[in-house]
Amino acid sequence: MRGFVRYAWRALAARRARTLLTVVGVALGVGVVVAALGVDAGLDASIDRTVASMVGRADLRVAAFEETGLSAGTLAQLAGVPGIAVEAPALERKSYLVSQPGRPVQTAPVTVLGVEPAVEPRVHDLPLARGAPLSGDADQTALITQTLARTDGLDVGSRLSILGMGAPVSVTVTGILAGDGPELGSAGRTVVLPIRTAMLLNVADGAPAPTQVDGVTRVDIVRASGAPVDQVAAAIGAALTLQPYVLSQPRDIAASLRASTLDVRSTMALLAAITLFAAAIMILNTMAMTVVERIRELGLLRAAGASRGQVTRVVFTQALLLGVGGSALGVAVGVVLAFAAAAWLRAGGQLAIDGPVITVWAVAAGVAAGMGVTLVAAIEPARRAAGISPVAVLRVRADLGQLVRSHTRWLVAVVAAIGVIAVLLLPGGATDLSVPLRAIAVYVLLLVAVLLTPTVLAPLARLVGLPFAALLRLEERLARASIRRDPSRTALTVGALVIGLAMVVALSAVAGSARASATAWLADVVPGDEVLTAIAPVPVGEGGVDQQVSAIDGVQLATPLASFDLAYAGTRLDAVAIRGADFLADGRLDFTAGDRTAALRAVDAGGAVILPEARAALLHVGLGDTMAVATSRGLVDLKVVGLVARSFPGRTGDAVLVGWGDALNRFGVLGADAIAVRYAPGRQADARPQVEALARQLALAASPISVVAGAVGDALDRLFGLLDLLALAAVVIAALGIVNTLSMNTLERVREIGTLRAAGMSRRQVWRSVLVEAGILGAIGGLVGSVAGVLVGLLLGGGAGAAGPVDAVPWSAVGLAMVLGVALAMLAAAQPARIASRVPIVTAVRGE
Amino acid sequence: MTLQPPAAAPAPGRTVLPILEARSLTRQYRMTGEIVEAVRGVTLSVMPGEFVALMGPSGSGKSTLLQLLGGLDQPTSGEVLLEGESIGRLSDSDATRLRRERTGFVFQSFNLVPLMNVVENVGLPFTIAGQDPRSADLSARIREAIALVELTGKERHKPDQLSAGEQQRVAVARAIVTRPALLFADEPTGNLDFRTGTGILDALWRTCVERGQTIVLVTHDAKAAAYADRVLVVGDGEVQDEIVLGRREDHAAAPLISRLALLGL
Repeated sequence: MRGFVRYAWRALAARRARTLLTVVGVALGVGVVVAALGVDAGLDASIDRTVASMVGRADLRVAAFEETGLSAGTLAQLAGVPGIAVEAPALERKSYLVSQPGRPVQTAPVTVLGVEPAVEPRVHDLPLARGAPLSGDADQTALITQTLARTDGLDVGSRLSILGMGAPVSVTVTGILAGDGPELGSAGRTVVLPIRTAMLLNVADGAPAPTQVDGVTRVDIVRASGAPVDQVAAAIGAALTLQPYVLSQPRDIAASLRASTLDVRSTMALLAAITLFAAAIMILNTMAMTVVERIRELGLLRAAGASRGQVTRVVFTQALLLGVGGSALGVAVGVVLAFAAAAWLRAGGQLAIDGPVITVWAVAAGVAAGMGVTLVAAIEPARRAAGISPVAVLRVRADLGQLVRSHTRWLVAVVAAIGVIAVLLLPGGATDLSVPLRAIAVYVLLLVAVLLTPTVLAPLARLVGLPFAALLRLEERLARASIRRDPSRTALTVGALVIGLAMVVALSAVAGSARASATAWLADVVPGDEVLTAIAPVPVGEGGVDQQVSAIDGVQLATPLASFDLAYAGTRLDAVAIRGADFLADGRLDFTAGDRTAALRAVDAGGAVILPEARAALLHVGLGDTMAVATSRGLVDLKVVGLVARSFPGRTGDAVLVGWGDALNRFGVLGADAIAVRYAPGRQADARPQVEALARQLALAASPISVVAGAVGDALDRLFGLLDLLALAAVVIAALGIVNTLSMNTLERVREIGTLRAAGMSRRQVWRSVLVEAGILGAIGGLVGSVAGVLVGLLLGGGAGAAGPVDAVPWSAVGLAMVLGVALAMLAAAQPARIASRVPIVTAVRGE
Repeated sequence: MTLQPPAAAPAPGRTVLPILEARSLTRQYRMTGEIVEAVRGVTLSVMPGEFVALMGPSGSGKSTLLQLLGGLDQPTSGEVLLEGESIGRLSDSDATRLRRERTGFVFQSFNLVPLMNVVENVGLPFTIAGQDPRSADLSARIREAIALVELTGKERHKPDQLSAGEQQRVAVARAIVTRPALLFADEPTGNLDFRTGTGILDALWRTCVERGQTIVLVTHDAKAAAYADRVLVVGDGEVQDEIVLGRREDHAAAPLISRLALLGL
């Protein structure tokens, strides 16, 4: 064995550049795998940490369903449930700190968390960086996070004024919580108060102060020792009868958070697997070329008595060395890539991730993938090398390459191995079978594209060669001749490029589609040019914010909107409160069933609901049906008065629309989350400053629709930017493959090049012919990759909402793929072209 | 067939200058620190229309000498004159132009472009020079060269549809299609069997006889060298002897072999 290792090592060392390129190709594939797994594990760890931070030692959480919170009655019912050791109520709301002289001005909101100072430590740890914990139940004291202390210039002893529904609530900071504190989504700006103090924020001017704990956001529950969680949950279910609520266990919260990241994680895993696919093709090609190059040497070994097994072992040992080198480098690349990807995601704010977690499993999976792919890719070349006939090799004029040229059908075996790895890589919790099925479909599609490439190579080369031929006829002919010399090799070289560029096109199609569906509702649904958003419900109607905005000269319409949840048939529905008359006047909402005017009037009258078409289909509810919705006052019937094509997006799909009367009086909505403002024609310029000034005064954030659309689009662009980067890894691998192939083609053509040089061909003509060859390869890759990419994009959900098949094609991405393919291939050809142009005629034409 | 007298025999009263001259030609290589002299002070001349063979065993320096004469390589010292013009120290672009316009080469390996048919391969030098091989004038020259190597009827064949001998004849046609002043052939029959090799040598001979093409042939085979008007015996990097055979239609090798035997070769 040592002899084989030494022999294989020397063979690799003799072709340093190719060995290095192959190792880098393997490393990129492994790197993307390690990075994808590292980010995946990082997301998992962050979710676990978040859940632990959220629920602490609680076994169950009862959360309010309505904005009014869990009532005192519900809390009393909960107190009577057997098997509960601790109940920790919490009230959570967003607010602003009143600016204080001498402190930095902050416009960012804070999250106020009211807790029972005596109970809270039994459920959650609130580690202090300094100061003292909360003591009394209704003290005017507060804990703040280190982050808030730093950004707002606060410390122990500082006085805070927190905006509420009535007069600001003043508290004194007694302690500083370590780091970002306990709350998710507060960007570290959290203030913890005694719950009764926090309740004061919900008391309007002149209203009496509450005498008992009421309207809490949630209650975290620690069960009594020995009480089974399921039994306690069942007992809670039986006891709480006054209002709708959500009962969850920590694992439910974790599962819900994981589900929200599943799309990104499975796409990353798919990209990692596809990058490995490209790497596998490149390695297969390189190994095949190495065998072609060394065929005489291997034949001589056979002639000297080496067995087929020994020749096979030589090739496999070489693959093993490449795999070890590539995997080791790949792990390092993966770690760097994982940290960069996590930082990118964290900075974008789309996903909560503290950092990547490079587990032993991730490293082992990366190394196994690298080694596995390399060894599987070596099967075909090794088999062919073992089949070399010493007699054929020693024949002087035999076309030796013909003896061992690889057949792409073997690629199927390689891809099957990669497919298995891909399925293993898909993130856990993917209960939806469509994820692995779609991954397999993408694989099959890319595989078919690669396998079809040799068939279409000649006509495509002729087609894409036309622009080159118009300028450089000779070079184009020579390039096409070189491309057709070994169709299998060309197909594998182009194949890796096809895969990379297909993914670039597919991701662009999916991104475009996601961007369109994420922003299209703004124009179709929102009756306004600008949206004012509130961090806490604001009053509507008589003297409400909507009327204050409407009163501004130049404002045509200011309509309040509130999002909340409805409980229907045991499921949670996203709902939005609307004022039908405003929608009627503004012309928004595209009705697909029901009379528009009647429906919007019925919503205002109450007892009616408008459903998005897709939601109605899911719920099996039609026009005229009645939906019985659970509320704290019992079941409320809502008649379906209309179906619309699209509505406001919710957490689980488009929201159902109900009138403000029902929202306020029957569903516990406290006020509006947003006010949509429509300006009178031609008045936007002068009215907007007044609206924005009022918004500032009322602590509302004003965003023109275009800015909202831009923000949504930017967030998506950032996410897809990362995915594009991963797809580009496959393109880079393909470029490395092109360098390898063109170098090999040059080596094989050295005699031909020498003869052509002797016939008067200049160095520049030789150089150009190699570049044109690369350009044709790149263009074929771009063309086939674009077609495959459009199809993959459709499989991955791109093209949704497109007007037609032509509209579904991301033409700019197709153009980019063509340019990228040609440019990258020609760039990759620079060195081989240089080598070719410097072929010494004397050496090249030397006799056999 | 009408035989033209060797151009080496000048018309009465007219001085014919050599088309190719080598003066004290030396080529040294540095190999693992030592200087190896492949060609040592060679002086020779070739007359227009003459068929000269450089003959010698492997490693004698005959191929190196041919490369120097053809401008493929540059001498360490000495001078090569083609039609009176020194070509020993040409720049790369000038050397390229020289090869394109004034010399033709045939090598042991034919190295045809696989995608191109016979016409396209033969017309390749024109394409390289940026000319249109489909123009009436060049097309006629291509057809003429193909006819000379007896491949008429196979103009549309691709290399893989031709035998080895036919491929080498295409290589010969490609080398002569530009009507170069000098045709250099380096072991053109080295990869071929006797019968096929004879066909190639016949083709070369015809170009010499019918078109007055000057040819310098490198070979170690006496039967191939017997086609030449004059054989220069090369050994240890020097021209050790000259055997004048004259222009003969039968190409019999016996006189040459007996002369070589007399020289102890």
